[in-house]
Amino acid sequence: MASTVVTDQVTLTVNGQSVTVPKGTLILDAAKKIGIDIPIFCSHPKMAPVAVCRMCLVEVEKMPKLQPACAVYVADGMVVRTTTEQVQKYQKGVLEFLLINHPLDCPICDKGGECPLQDQTYQYGPGASRFDFEKAHFDKAVPLSDKIVLDRERCILCWRCTRFSEEISGERELALIQRGVHTIIGTFNDEPAQSNYQGNWTEICPVGALTSREYRFISRPWDLDRTASICPGCSMGCNIQVDARHNRIGRFQSRENLAVDDGWLCDFGRYSFPTFQRQGFEAPRVRQDGKLVEVSFEEAIAAAADGLAQARGAVAGWASPAATNEELFLFQRLFRQRLQSPHIDHRAFRPTWPDPDPDDMTLPIADLERCDYVVVLGGQEVIDAAPVLHLRLFKSERRGVKVLKIDAEQGARAREWVPADAQAVGILATVSHKKEATDLQAALGKKVKGSVRRLLVVRGPNGRGANDLGILPNFRPGYEGLNGQSGKGRAEWGKGGIGAAYIFEASPLHAFEATEDERRWLSGLKTLVMHRFRASPLDDLAHVIIPGRAFTEKAGTVTNMEGRVQRIGRAIDADAVPDDWMVLQAIARKLGAPWDYHESSDITADLLDLIPQYAAVDRGERVLWSERT
Amino acid sequence: MSIREVLEGPLYIVRALATTFKHNARPRVTIEYPERQKVVPPRHRGRHILHRYADGLEKCVGCELCAIACPVGCIVVEAAENTPERRVSPGERYAKRYEINLLRCIYCGMCEEACPYDAITMGPRYDLADDHPDKFIAVKEDLLEPLQASLGDTARPSAAPSAQAEPRKW
Repeated sequence: MASTVVTDQVTLTVNGQSVTVPKGTLILDAAKKIGIDIPIFCSHPKMAPVAVCRMCLVEVEKMPKLQPACAVYVADGMVVRTTTEQVQKYQKGVLEFLLINHPLDCPICDKGGECPLQDQTYQYGPGASRFDFEKAHFDKAVPLSDKIVLDRERCILCWRCTRFSEEISGERELALIQRGVHTIIGTFNDEPAQSNYQGNWTEICPVGALTSREYRFISRPWDLDRTASICPGCSMGCNIQVDARHNRIGRFQSRENLAVDDGWLCDFGRYSFPTFQRQGFEAPRVRQDGKLVEVSFEEAIAAAADGLAQARGAVAGWASPAATNEELFLFQRLFRQRLQSPHIDHRAFRPTWPDPDPDDMTLPIADLERCDYVVVLGGQEVIDAAPVLHLRLFKSERRGVKVLKIDAEQGARAREWVPADAQAVGILATVSHKKEATDLQAALGKKVKGSVRRLLVVRGPNGRGANDLGILPNFRPGYEGLNGQSGKGRAEWGKGGIGAAYIFEASPLHAFEATEDERRWLSGLKTLVMHRFRASPLDDLAHVIIPGRAFTEKAGTVTNMEGRVQRIGRAIDADAVPDDWMVLQAIARKLGAPWDYHESSDITADLLDLIPQYAAVDRGERVLWSERT
Repeated sequence: MSIREVLEGPLYIVRALATTFKHNARPRVTIEYPERQKVVPPRHRGRHILHRYADGLEKCVGCELCAIACPVGCIVVEAAENTPERRVSPGERYAKRYEINLLRCIYCGMCEEACPYDAITMGPRYDLADDHPDKFIAVKEDLLEPLQASLGDTARPSAAPSAQAEPRKW
C-alpha cells in the first residue's frame, strides 16, 4: 500500500495550471493565486460567501452543473476551467440579466469609471441586450441618511451592504425588503441609517447604488489626483487615499492596511475632509495698537520670534497632536534649545493626566483578534475615540474572542470576569482612564497565566508621536527624563510664571479647546502666537496669527496609537502658505538656530538619528520601545 | 518669326479673352465677406453648441465624457445636482461649469461623438477671430443655444429620468 502523507494542502488544476493551496480555500482565491481572474460581484474577501450574483460560475470536472467559484471549496485533484464556451455563455447570460433593469445612467452615476459592473460588462458581457421592454423603475436618489444616497434602480442585489451591516459592523441596519423583482435595499421603516460606518457601503457597492452625499457629482474617477495618506480623524491611523480634483479634496477612500484598519474607515474620519478644505488665502495678522493688521509672513514670523524671545524661559508651547512628527521634533527643539522653556504640552485640558510610557501600546491593534479575552474599559467611550476599533472588536468576537465592555470604574468586574487560565488578555482604554487600565493590568497580571497587554487610545492622529517626541513638560524625545529640569504642564500654566504662549493648532479637529480659566490667563499674556490652519476661538486674544497648513497639505510621518509610524502625503498644493515646519524653522533661525532644512524628509533623517526606533517608518512597522536598552 | 505666327497671334488673344468673359458670366465662388456669410455644409465642424430640450432644460448632464474624449484636453466640466428650486437639466445632474478653450480646440468633433445625450454638437459658426486670448475661453453661457432655438426637439433619451424622487424630511 502506498503511503500517503496527510497535509493541509490540496493541489488542484485551474485552466491547466496546477496550484497548491491550504484546505478550505475557495476556488476563487486559488485561481487568484495563479493570476486567473474570475469575475465577481457579491463575493467579498472579508465576508462569508453567499453566491447570489452567479457571476463567478466555473466548470468543475465531474460536477454536472457549473459551480460558483466564490462558494465552492477546493478539493484535491479538482479540475477547474474558467474560460470554456459554456462558462462564457453563462457569464454573458448573467450579465444580460443583471442589465435588464439596471438603468444606463452611467453618465450621471458617481461610480461610472470605477464600476465593477461596467468593467465586467466590457470584459465578459454581451455587446447588446435582447430586452426591448420598459425597464423596471424604482426610486432614485433616496437619502438613506444624511451621508448616503441610495439609487434603487442601480442596485443589482449582491447583498454586500446588508452583509457588511450584519457581519462586519454587526449593526444590522440594512436589509433586503420584498421579494423577486421587487426586492429593494432599505432600513427598517425607512428611518435614516444611524451607523458610523456607512461610508464603507459606498466602497463595497459594486455599482453606483450607494453613493456618498459629500462626493455627489464632485468629480469623475479619472479626474482625481490620488495621494496615499493617513486619516486625520483619530489616533487609529487608518490608511486613506486623498482623492482631490482641481486642488480641492473630493473624498477620502480607504487604502487597506490589514494590520491597522482592515480596509474600513469610520464616517467620522471619512467625512471629516470638509474641515481640511482651504477657504481662500488668509494673510497673517499682527496686533498693532489693539487691532489685528494684515502683514506678510516674514513680518508675522519676525513679530512672533520677537515676542517669544522677550519671554525667554517662560514661554508655554502647545502643539496639536495632529501635527507631524517632523513639526513636533522642531517644535520641542525650538522650545528646549532656543527659548529655554521646557513648558510644552500637546494634551487637552485635564487637571491631572498620568504620564505616558511605552507600555501603553504593547498590544497591537491586529492582536486583538488573537487575544482570548478583551476588556474595553470605558465601553462606548473607547469606540467613540477610535471608531474603527469597533469593527476589529466585532470581527474578533465573531472569531471567538470574549469581549467585555464596561465602564472605566468597573475594573473589579473585569477582574472576576477574566478566568485564571486565559492565555492572552487585552485591555483597551482611552488615555484619560490610564490609571484604571494599569490597575486592571496589574491585577490581571497576578491572576492570569498568560500575557496581559494594554492599548491606550490617545488623542489626535499623532498623539502617540507627540508622546514619543517629548511634547511633554517632563520627557525628552524617547521618554527620557529631564533630571529635575521638568517644565510646567498645561494644567500649571495658568498658575503664573508664563509670559508668552505659542499655540500650534494643526487641525481643527484636535484644537487647543481653551477652558474659561485658560482664556483668562491667555488674555493676560504679553504675547500669544496662534499658528493654526483654521480660524480659532483664540484668534481674538492672539497677538500674532500665522495661518498654517491643513493635514492634507503637508508631507511627513505620524504615529498611530499602537506606535506604527506611517507617512502622510501632500495631496493639496498650498504654495502661498509656508509649510508649518518652515514657520517653526524661520522662528528658530530668528532666535539664532543654525537649522537649514529644505524638505520635511531632511527633518525625518535628523529625527531618526535621535530616535532610531522611528526607522520603522520605512517598513510600515510599529516602533518597538521594548527593544530599547 | 514666321508669317504664320504673326497671323495666329491675335487669335490667341481672342481665345484668352473668351476664357475671361466666360468666367465673368459664371456664378461667383467668392462672397462679399463679412457683409455676406458663407452657408456651411450641415455637418461642418465649427464652434460648439450646447443644446436644450424643447422645454428649455439643458441636455448636458455634466458627465465629462467629452472632456475625457478630447484629444487636446480643452474641455473642463464640473457637475452639480439639480434641486427642485433650481432645475437645469431633466435628470439629477447638470453641468455647473462648462468651458472650452477654443484656441486649443482642434475642431475634431470627438466631443460630439462621445456625448451620450447629444448635448454638444459642432455648430456652423466659423468666424471666431478676436483680439485677446482670454476671449477664447468659451463658457457655458457662450455655448448654450438660445432658449427659443430649441423648440423643435421634444424627444428625451429614455435613460434621462423624467423626475427626481421627492426629497425626504431628513
